[in-house]
Amino acid sequence: MKRLLILIGKIIVKLLKLMKRNAGNLPGIILWHLSGHKAVSMFTVDCPIIAVTGTNGKTSVTNCIARLFEKSGKKIIINREGNNLDTGICSLLLRYCDMSGKVDADYLILETDESHVPVVYSQLKLDTLVVLNFFRDQLDRNGEMETLIQKINGFCKTFEGNLILNGDDPNTARLGRANPKNKNVRYFHAEPYAFATDKIFEASEGRFCPFCGETLEYDYYQYSHIGKFICKKCGFGDHKPYITASGIDLEKPEFTADGHKYSPKLNSIYNVYNMTAVAGAAKLYGIDRKITNEVISGYTVKNGRMENFMLGDRKTTLNLAKNPVGANMTLRVMNEMQGEKELLFVLNDNVADGLDVSWIWDINFSIFERVTRVVTSGTRAHDIAVRIKCSGYPQENIVVRPDLDKAVEELAKTEGRKFVIANYTAVQPTRSSLKRYIAKHGGKTE
Amino acid sequence: MKTIKILHMYADMLDLYGDSGNMEIMKYRCTMRGIGCEIDKYSVDSPMPDFSAYDLIYIGGGADLEQQHISADLLKCREGIVNAYKNGTFLFLICGGYQLMGKYYRDADGNDIKGLGLFDYFTVAPNSRRKRCIGNIVVQTEITGKPVKVLGFENHGGQTQNVKTPFGKVLYGNGNCSKSECEGYFEKNVIATYLHGPMLSKNPEISDYMIEYCINRSADAPEKLVPLDDKLEKECRKVMLDRLLKG
Repeated sequence: MKRLLILIGKIIVKLLKLMKRNAGNLPGIILWHLSGHKAVSMFTVDCPIIAVTGTNGKTSVTNCIARLFEKSGKKIIINREGNNLDTGICSLLLRYCDMSGKVDADYLILETDESHVPVVYSQLKLDTLVVLNFFRDQLDRNGEMETLIQKINGFCKTFEGNLILNGDDPNTARLGRANPKNKNVRYFHAEPYAFATDKIFEASEGRFCPFCGETLEYDYYQYSHIGKFICKKCGFGDHKPYITASGIDLEKPEFTADGHKYSPKLNSIYNVYNMTAVAGAAKLYGIDRKITNEVISGYTVKNGRMENFMLGDRKTTLNLAKNPVGANMTLRVMNEMQGEKELLFVLNDNVADGLDVSWIWDINFSIFERVTRVVTSGTRAHDIAVRIKCSGYPQENIVVRPDLDKAVEELAKTEGRKFVIANYTAVQPTRSSLKRYIAKHGGKTE
Repeated sequence: MKTIKILHMYADMLDLYGDSGNMEIMKYRCTMRGIGCEIDKYSVDSPMPDFSAYDLIYIGGGADLEQQHISADLLKCREGIVNAYKNGTFLFLICGGYQLMGKYYRDADGNDIKGLGLFDYFTVAPNSRRKRCIGNIVVQTEITGKPVKVLGFENHGGQTQNVKTPFGKVLYGNGNCSKSECEGYFEKNVIATYLHGPMLSKNPEISDYMIEYCINRSADAPEKLVPLDDKLEKECRKVMLDRLLKG
């Protein structure tokens, strides 16, 4: 039966290739149905599997861990395009397995959707699970945050492999207690950076101790509910970190982890957390220090995550915001910058974004400083306009342009510094639109 | 200057799906008219407030875990809230706040969370956490004296039953139960509803209904509110109503 399924899968992949169609997900969906919803059960994987999950940063961390092994000369398989559901992982493995379903590699590095961790790794043996953070994101798809954490927690109860957890996020750190017999639980942690606060700044999850219900106390918050927390009643939060980022300086930017100074290219606190997770994985697998340094210091992204464009002579920074945390972070970066600026906010409500756009009300627009104009676009251009207006921002300075190209034209009309925030399905169309503007009117992409 | 006083209960815990935005909108629409809007917050372990001193009490929605945390505290406030409600204080209740004012909320595991019992309805969550009423919703209400289409987003497992005076008729979406005809609960000084969004962001008429109620509740000669420039809100409503009702 397994061989038959593999054969069918391979034929579908071939057919799609002949038709010049992307085989990202469809073969997996078909096999999911044929296999009785066990889309990855027909594969034989003998090498270690490392999975990365969490709300924000999965793609970055997965790519970096893959590079650690690649640069060490290992043969790896990775779902680079972010097909991170069981069906996407099935499609990926179909491409790399032989006719018996055996997958040949030294390591599998798999970005895995939060809600699919138990599904995929009840069928494939997992060596290491890296859990980055849990924020409100696409709540209407997954139901409540707590349900999601319970699912992964249920998986962790019997998991005896390595767990690399964000020790500064109570939502992920709690997974370390799911299986008291598991001796392979490790936490990453970061000391406070310059903009850490002693009060919480944004709406967030995880106010209470999940074990005894007591209010969690924080030494400091880095962003959202990420920070050094402790439950004074039961001691939750007293875990010893396996790896710690210290001396964080985002101006340079640099930080030190495990006695080694890194100079990453991206200057955000969440990049520091992501790279500390990467350094943790490197330490666990005994990767050469020099290689770890190359990966962390060389990592940059061109996928709308703090990506720069020149619209003519107007410097423009695009950042993806899938949730309030990401958007608030961009607003902070805007405020930390002197001088006047304008913002384009592109908001879509496609299925992958989550149909509910109420998360925009958790963005703290009242902190706006020297923002002279706002343009809004996307399928929910009006919703974001109303939201910004009700924060007290003058209505006459808001321009609604649902059509993206028109919105970019509008943004570039005036001089000065520009910022663009786009949510999940909006980010690639926004990049394309910015590039179309540049092709037409001049400028450059970085 | 006229001032309305609002008590926002459990803002730090019941704030799912942008519910705190409703307070931002109330304040905004008062400020634009030169009406004062004082919002006090109450949460677990705050000193017991004088509930009757407020024109409006607001409670938002939260996840099951948060709701369990506050239910015991809310019961301690029962007498104060009942008296305020009888004195004409407006109760504006979203999702969890709506459920907790009923007799009880039975969660997915069959545990009962006791409600305040202010109203006769009760809520039962389905056994499966996956069965939820999720999506855009349009409700037609007549509370302002003429039909108003109210737009929002619902996301609830709980099925609320035994509602005698609903907030409105469902034109699109689920309402109190899966695929039900009615949504929410209504009295002249109560709006209880599942609508997030936040609800007031797309329904300025509902905010104005409550503001007008609050400024006139102790006045001899009722005043009409000055209209605001709701151009953006109107366009926003049109886009969504066209999409949902004409589809």
